[in-house]
Amino acid sequence: MTFVLTWLATLLLVALPLPLVMAPYLPHWPVLFVAWWALFQNHRLSMTLLFIAAVPFDVLYGTVLGLHSLLFALVAYMLTLLGARIRQVNWVRQSVVVFLVLGIAALVGYWARTLTGYDPDLLVLMMQAAIGAILWSPVRIVYGWLSQFVSEPVEGTH
Amino acid sequence: MRPLFSQTSVAAVRLVIAVTFAVATMLIDSRLDGLQIVRLAVKTALWPVEQIAGFPANATRAVADWTQTRTQLAGRLESLAIENERLLTEQLKLHTLRAENSELRRLLGVRERVNERLLQAQIERVSNDPFVHRVTINRGIAAGVQIGRPVLAADGLVGQIVSVYPHASEVLLMTDSTHQLPVQVTRTRLRAVAFGTGQLDQLELRNLPATVDIVAGDVIETSGLAGRFQPGIPVARVIEVIRSPGQPFARVLCEPAAELSTLTLLMVDVSDEEVGQ
Repeated sequence: MTFVLTWLATLLLVALPLPLVMAPYLPHWPVLFVAWWALFQNHRLSMTLLFIAAVPFDVLYGTVLGLHSLLFALVAYMLTLLGARIRQVNWVRQSVVVFLVLGIAALVGYWARTLTGYDPDLLVLMMQAAIGAILWSPVRIVYGWLSQFVSEPVEGTH
Repeated sequence: MRPLFSQTSVAAVRLVIAVTFAVATMLIDSRLDGLQIVRLAVKTALWPVEQIAGFPANATRAVADWTQTRTQLAGRLESLAIENERLLTEQLKLHTLRAENSELRRLLGVRERVNERLLQAQIERVSNDPFVHRVTINRGIAAGVQIGRPVLAADGLVGQIVSVYPHASEVLLMTDSTHQLPVQVTRTRLRAVAFGTGQLDQLELRNLPATVDIVAGDVIETSGLAGRFQPGIPVARVIEVIRSPGQPFARVLCEPAAELSTLTLLMVDVSDEEVGQ
């Protein structure tokens, strides 16, 4: 239930009608969603679930199908391995680690977009990673709150 | 549920499998265009989500419309009346030109565009990905929209339809970095291809020789080659021609005729007859 709720919340954030010029300054919400799940509830995730959950984001963004599945798998892998070490550290350190993971995901995203005929700007992707890391703490709190809302409290989110 | 990555080696294997599947999906979608049906199904299922997400903006717009003062409405009405007068005068000229054009086409034996029809559409949302220049409009299969149809704004070409759904369509803007458009320079009839640069205010004409006769201010229009766009639709205006010493090609940068960053209303060309001879 928490997964569906947080997934729908992320879909709504991505589907918000905003001016085209704002796009470079928006965080990559779906990757933050996966980061939260990989850090705090990875025992309830599966690779198939992530693969399926990623497809609507590709459709909403208009990106090639499979791009978000790739990013989700990478972020989930890295943060699940790091999870035990960074789950309890303060929010600043956690944001730094999240930035590094999002930065690696941005590099892979850059490669994948180039592979499919796009001409992305790495600086914009890294800026999105930085904005995502800055917003990590509020995102973590909101997802934690959503989790509590459906009576599934999560360790280490408060 | 089973843990996602219980051991590092297992995790690595699962990651490799997931990455392989994801890359294969990407290649199938981008190179073979074989997953349109998945896109159609998912987009249709996401319709309620898009409506909910668009509700605050729509409600704000509705409230703003309701709260306009009488003076504001009167001012708007007056400016629309003036604009209407101007358009009616233009239409008179257009009738004459159409008749002349029809006569010339008949004499030359060139097929005429029959039942020319433009369908008005409103932008519902734009892609929030900075490198994907796509917008969703509120007209789809039900309104007769088809893939490949040109999309116009008041000032010129905007792009073309790339996906159609029952009640919506996706428009690929001509500035998207995957978009290429056959064009010509109005002044010299020089043919070229306009490439999207991934920036909303820029197109580029590539592979033109350094000695090409093109200057800043030249108007670029569709050439009609490839049969998708009617010839003569304004596309862009040349803003800079870069000729580097020793380089065989010039870089020609253009600014789109339509203001793509502030679009709200669009026209989809749903004419029955394709361009051609």
